[in-house]
Amino acid sequence: MSSVQAARTHLSPDQPSLPRVGLGRVLVRLTATMVGAAVVGQALVVARARPQDLITGASGMADILRRAFPPDLNNLPRALNGVLETFDIALLGTLAAIVLSLPLAVLAAENVTPSRAFYLAARGVIAVTRAVPDLIWALLFVTAVGLGPFPGVLALSVHSIGMLGRLLAENIEDIDMGPVQALTITGASPVQIVTHAILPGLLPSLIGISLYRLDENVRSSTVLGFVGAGGIGFLILTAMNLFQYRQVATLLILMYLLVMLVERLSAAIRNRIR
Amino acid sequence: MTRILEIDGLTKDYPGGRRALDDVSLHVAPGELLVILGHNGSGKSTLLRCAVRLIDPTAGAVRVAGQDLARLSGTQLRDARRSVAMIFQAANLVRRRSALANVATGSLGRHHDLATAFGWLPREELLFAGTLLDRLGLLHLAHKRADTLSGGEAQRIAIARGLAQRPQVLLADEPVASLDPEAAEDVLVLLRNLATDDQLGVVCVLHQPELALRHAHRVIGLKRGRIMFDAPAVHVRSEAIAALYHSDDDG
Repeated sequence: MSSVQAARTHLSPDQPSLPRVGLGRVLVRLTATMVGAAVVGQALVVARARPQDLITGASGMADILRRAFPPDLNNLPRALNGVLETFDIALLGTLAAIVLSLPLAVLAAENVTPSRAFYLAARGVIAVTRAVPDLIWALLFVTAVGLGPFPGVLALSVHSIGMLGRLLAENIEDIDMGPVQALTITGASPVQIVTHAILPGLLPSLIGISLYRLDENVRSSTVLGFVGAGGIGFLILTAMNLFQYRQVATLLILMYLLVMLVERLSAAIRNRIR
Repeated sequence: MTRILEIDGLTKDYPGGRRALDDVSLHVAPGELLVILGHNGSGKSTLLRCAVRLIDPTAGAVRVAGQDLARLSGTQLRDARRSVAMIFQAANLVRRRSALANVATGSLGRHHDLATAFGWLPREELLFAGTLLDRLGLLHLAHKRADTLSGGEAQRIAIARGLAQRPQVLLADEPVASLDPEAAEDVLVLLRNLATDDQLGVVCVLHQPELALRHAHRVIGLKRGRIMFDAPAVHVRSEAIAALYHSDDDG
């Protein structure tokens, strides 16, 4: 404090003081604050966020919870079948996506793509399939091929092609080009170079990425049933519509167990292969 | 004298105008180990890379068994490349495959079918790879994964992969630059034996003049993209070599 005072007394009026903050900067800060407040404000209005609803809704919530207890185990076989269906949708969707995304990733990797045109086309496919959420794909496929688990498989695989394709392409761009060069000179064909020089090195990350994708897809496939694409989600939707809350409780517990189990297993295997 | 590899007037200008190779002509006969010596940036690696079209030469011809590699493309180039094997400073093995599988991949140019496209290796080529390893005294490494091999072992496996190609010409770009002296000696003895016993034409780019003089049949000195001398190893004088490494523009 004394040093501050010393400094202050040291500053005589004719000595230069700190330069002032310019008017332009002050205006910029003020505008940014106001714009920020306006953006959050409109969100509160548009989303009709009324905290008091939480309080009035509490009794309704308690009512549902009371009516959901104890969970109804009468339809357990049917519920378990729904769990299996959910897992199988995710499994097939992931497997199909792995097979289809591999060639796409090769085309979309800058260091091995055969031509600029293929590169741009592959990047385009990846961007579109990734940008459209799997639930929207499910809606489209249910319309195209009808209700059931199969449109769910199609939806997950199409969305996963984009997700896997991008990650795999990035991994291919990081590979050691030495073996690729060596096999090029032996007279190997481009396809042979992919399967014999690129793929063996890619395998650990391919397995890791695919397991992570399976984990994500199991999560997604639990709600695909809401748009008619099969699995446990369809059972939850039906039970909700019939106000069978004890049935819903059973289904939610099973869903939680499935998601947890797959997540743990996928993480454990990924740790082993690292 | 028959010439298995004939390079004629090879010139390479890099983008930006630097001339890496300036009208280089040389030839190799079956059974001959030719060593190219030169300073860093003398163009010796560019020469080998142009010869197999890893980079495209600006002008000149590369004739292997009567075909001009510099003028081919696509499938024709792929087929013509089969008669030229090349090894590098790094062994460039596929790390997660066994030594045997790595050797067998050298044969892929002869097998363009569905099974090899899906990553399988023909059984007869795995057997052939085994006999190659046996000949090189490396059979005990057959089932070791490539990323567990020592530098010298990996380089000799890379040479075996080149042989699996059944080449007529073997090019080696500083194959011993990252090896210890003992392993380097082994590799050069092997290259010379492959020339004399298998009647391959072997061209090896080296950094070390004493290795070259001890093992080569013939030595070429390259400086700033031009051939300074081309003589049998026994006739190369130490002044000629000193002139190669003595640079008058950098210290």
